[in-house]
Amino acid sequence: MLQVLVLGLINGGIYAIFALGVVLVYRGTGVLTFAHGEIGTIALYFAYFLVAKVGLPWAAGALGAIALATLLGAAFEFLFVRRMVNADPVSTVVLTVGLGLFLLAAEFFFFGATPRNLEPPTNKYYFTIDNVVVRPWQVAALVLALALGFGLQSALRRSDFGLGILAAAQDPAAVRLVGVPLSRVTLTVWSVGAGLSGLAALLIEPSVGVVAPGYASELFVIGLAAAVVGGLTSLPGAFVGGVVLGLAQSASHRYLGSFGVTGLQYIVVLTILLVVLLGRAFAPEVRRRLARPHTGAPSATTAGATA
Amino acid sequence: MSTAATLTQPRARRRLPVPTLLVALVAAAVLPPLIGRTPILSDPNALLLCRACAFGIAAISLNMLMGYAGQISLGQFAFVGIGSFATGMVTGVNDLRYPWLAGVAVAAAAGALLALLVGLPALRLRGLYLAVVTIAVAYAAWQWLFRFERIGGGSAGKVLPRPYFGTHVISGNADFLAISAVALVLIWWLDVNLVRSRFGRAFQAVKADERVAASFGVDVARYKLLAFMLSGAVAGIGGAIYGTAFGTVTGDTFDYSQSLLLVVIVVIGGLGSRIGVVAAAFFAILLPVWLHLVNGPFTSLFHHGIDGIALMLNALLLMYTIARHPDGLAGAVSEAREKRMRRRGGEPPLPPTRPNLPSLGRPRGMPEPTKLSSHRAVLEVTGVNVRFGGLRAVDDASIRVDRGTIVGLMGPNGAGKTTLFNAITGALRPDTGRIELLGQDVSELPAHARAALGVGRTFQLIGLVKGQSVYENLLIAQHLATPNGLLSGLTRVGSSRWYEREIRQRADATLEGLGFQRYASTPVGRLSHGQQRIVEIGCALVTSPELVMLDEPSSGMSPAAAEDLAATLRDMRDVLGRTILLIEHNVPLVLDVSDELYVMDAGQVIANGEPVEVVTRPEVVTAYLGVAPAREEARV
Repeated sequence: MLQVLVLGLINGGIYAIFALGVVLVYRGTGVLTFAHGEIGTIALYFAYFLVAKVGLPWAAGALGAIALATLLGAAFEFLFVRRMVNADPVSTVVLTVGLGLFLLAAEFFFFGATPRNLEPPTNKYYFTIDNVVVRPWQVAALVLALALGFGLQSALRRSDFGLGILAAAQDPAAVRLVGVPLSRVTLTVWSVGAGLSGLAALLIEPSVGVVAPGYASELFVIGLAAAVVGGLTSLPGAFVGGVVLGLAQSASHRYLGSFGVTGLQYIVVLTILLVVLLGRAFAPEVRRRLARPHTGAPSATTAGATA
Repeated sequence: MSTAATLTQPRARRRLPVPTLLVALVAAAVLPPLIGRTPILSDPNALLLCRACAFGIAAISLNMLMGYAGQISLGQFAFVGIGSFATGMVTGVNDLRYPWLAGVAVAAAAGALLALLVGLPALRLRGLYLAVVTIAVAYAAWQWLFRFERIGGGSAGKVLPRPYFGTHVISGNADFLAISAVALVLIWWLDVNLVRSRFGRAFQAVKADERVAASFGVDVARYKLLAFMLSGAVAGIGGAIYGTAFGTVTGDTFDYSQSLLLVVIVVIGGLGSRIGVVAAAFFAILLPVWLHLVNGPFTSLFHHGIDGIALMLNALLLMYTIARHPDGLAGAVSEAREKRMRRRGGEPPLPPTRPNLPSLGRPRGMPEPTKLSSHRAVLEVTGVNVRFGGLRAVDDASIRVDRGTIVGLMGPNGAGKTTLFNAITGALRPDTGRIELLGQDVSELPAHARAALGVGRTFQLIGLVKGQSVYENLLIAQHLATPNGLLSGLTRVGSSRWYEREIRQRADATLEGLGFQRYASTPVGRLSHGQQRIVEIGCALVTSPELVMLDEPSSGMSPAAAEDLAATLRDMRDVLGRTILLIEHNVPLVLDVSDELYVMDAGQVIANGEPVEVVTRPEVVTAYLGVAPAREEARV
């Protein structure tokens, strides 16, 4: 039981960080991104390159990776997304798919299909909870996801620019009217969202030990689902969604492990996703049905309350 | 070739007449086996072409969803895979051993069923949820479902035997290519019919604007689901061809990257362009092999090596295409054609004429509201409240519209007029209150069902499908007048034939009445705002609805056109016998045409009665000017 909980929280934190990036980009630009998984992977490859080939310390490699991810997000926004302000959302979604494909190809081109190994220096420190080995970065990932999920929103509320980020997708005109340049909002969310993907990829890589092309995408898909489970517009929701999926995954692994083959996690994610969407789609209908047995009567109590 | 002549005769060329279909079918069935027996077409190349046909079918399936209905699937190869494995399970030697065609039918059914299962939750909500869900489906199918021994055949893969007739097995690749090509032609034909049927038109409307689609009577959630199921079924058929061509398939044949490749194909080929996406599919399969670039395009991306450069170029081409021409290469071609036409002088401007709408009866496809016609009040709204968070957008509003009258609805900006409109048409549900149309309580009915009762409406920001022609919009608006089934629509056999004939006659008559024949094939988005208004009114009237609700019809019109509008509105009431509820800011126009006037402010109805008298009431003047002036000033 505890084991399931610990494993679920560890993975859930990573999903949550991916989900936070997705939600941030969605709130700031109204675009659902499918590229951030590959941004994370390429960042990880860059860290591998800096550490294994150039010989820099791990921390420098990690910083470089996050910097590259941030830069990629910014460049993509500047070169492409900016031109798509008035475009069909379908086109913009496909554009992000295109970026994902491009980065995937770049991974194959520069590093080949062979998995590479990137060891963090802290790998010898760990403690165990109920036979689960917990390493520092795994704790860091969870704490970070928690802090970002619950801290970021209130932090953004404190400034006009932050409010601009939170409101941009809903009402771009209003954001402009309060004096926040919209292009800076989109540039910021794309950079930060991409940086978060790099961070998430760095934090989960040590648990797996290797990086291969398309590596972070498979995790990102779950992060994406977590963002949707959390409501797609809520940063705390993204954290909750990530943890829910992480827990569901570890629980299913433990209790349904014999059912079927590999890849059980995806069917679990899919099922939760469908159930959540089903609930959200029919909730208003159900609420109305419940509230309407005494239908037709206009509420007399509130009549004329406003002048 | 004169532009005007080509523009007025636009429709005749678009259909694929039966002889063309027959020629194509015969060519597809006969040519491959013949050429395959010569050295021109080698056996491996024939197999490659089979694969291209399957990809073409899959591309058509994704185009139905993305190009027509505007919904994204990033996991289309899950449906192709389901089709393959379903075929294997039905026809396989170790399985059921049913004939191949039964396998194809089951493949189509399996694809549609998976789409139903996934789409039912994902398509109820507005937004791009389907994209996320289909990715999860792609991973779940590839990593989980297809790994079951029973379904995917384990590591050895699933064996799909070639079809046979009697004792003759179609073993040669060139012979199977004939079957693949025939399937592609048939799917192509179905797709042509789909676009020309009420279903394809409804998809277009849903893609353009769900609320506009609902105002034409389209059940949006149902049609999105239908588009997805059709797409799933066709993808399943593609999978049957794909799997049978190769003989053995494993789960990894249908990995996630294949789904992405298909998205690339459809977008580069051009969303909504059938020939574009099929050509792109063929190029994507054949070109890299024939140029010896890679062993096969993107072959199992995640597992083996790949020529990264080719894929990088592909992805760059994709991104460039979208950023530069959001409509794909097909869009770029038509853009260039349009530019050429404009350089040649473009279309001559239309002399302003007063629209003279034809008196069309109720379409045969729509039920006659006989028992309701005795009712005097066409619309009765009682105590409607709409709240947006803390804001009372509509506050206990009640209005009544009698048959054969024009009722004006005025009020300053933000008074809640359009919100009340939306509550009446069902675009949003009021928190409380009762709405009666033609004596029937419709408070619980969705927007499309209210449209079916006989409500036509226009929108503040033009409720038309801007990318489609004027003529096509007039057909889209007659969704309710064509109650034929899907099968009849897809095959153009049976009832759809005469429903279609009728709505085309009505569209022609309306076009003529509006004086817009010259613009029949002009995309609505290229007309001026005032012209779009006229077309929109034509669309709202083309099904002869009992109640017509117009939201600021004179906005964007010149003063002269607005004067014409007054005459048109009176004609609608006196000649056509329509009942009109009118939101309008143009005070002289409202006073001129209305029989009764309601004035709203801050969500409440503050005055109603005889128009000229109502506008002089102090509370109305206050609402507009902010303070109550002396009576003499108010008269001005």
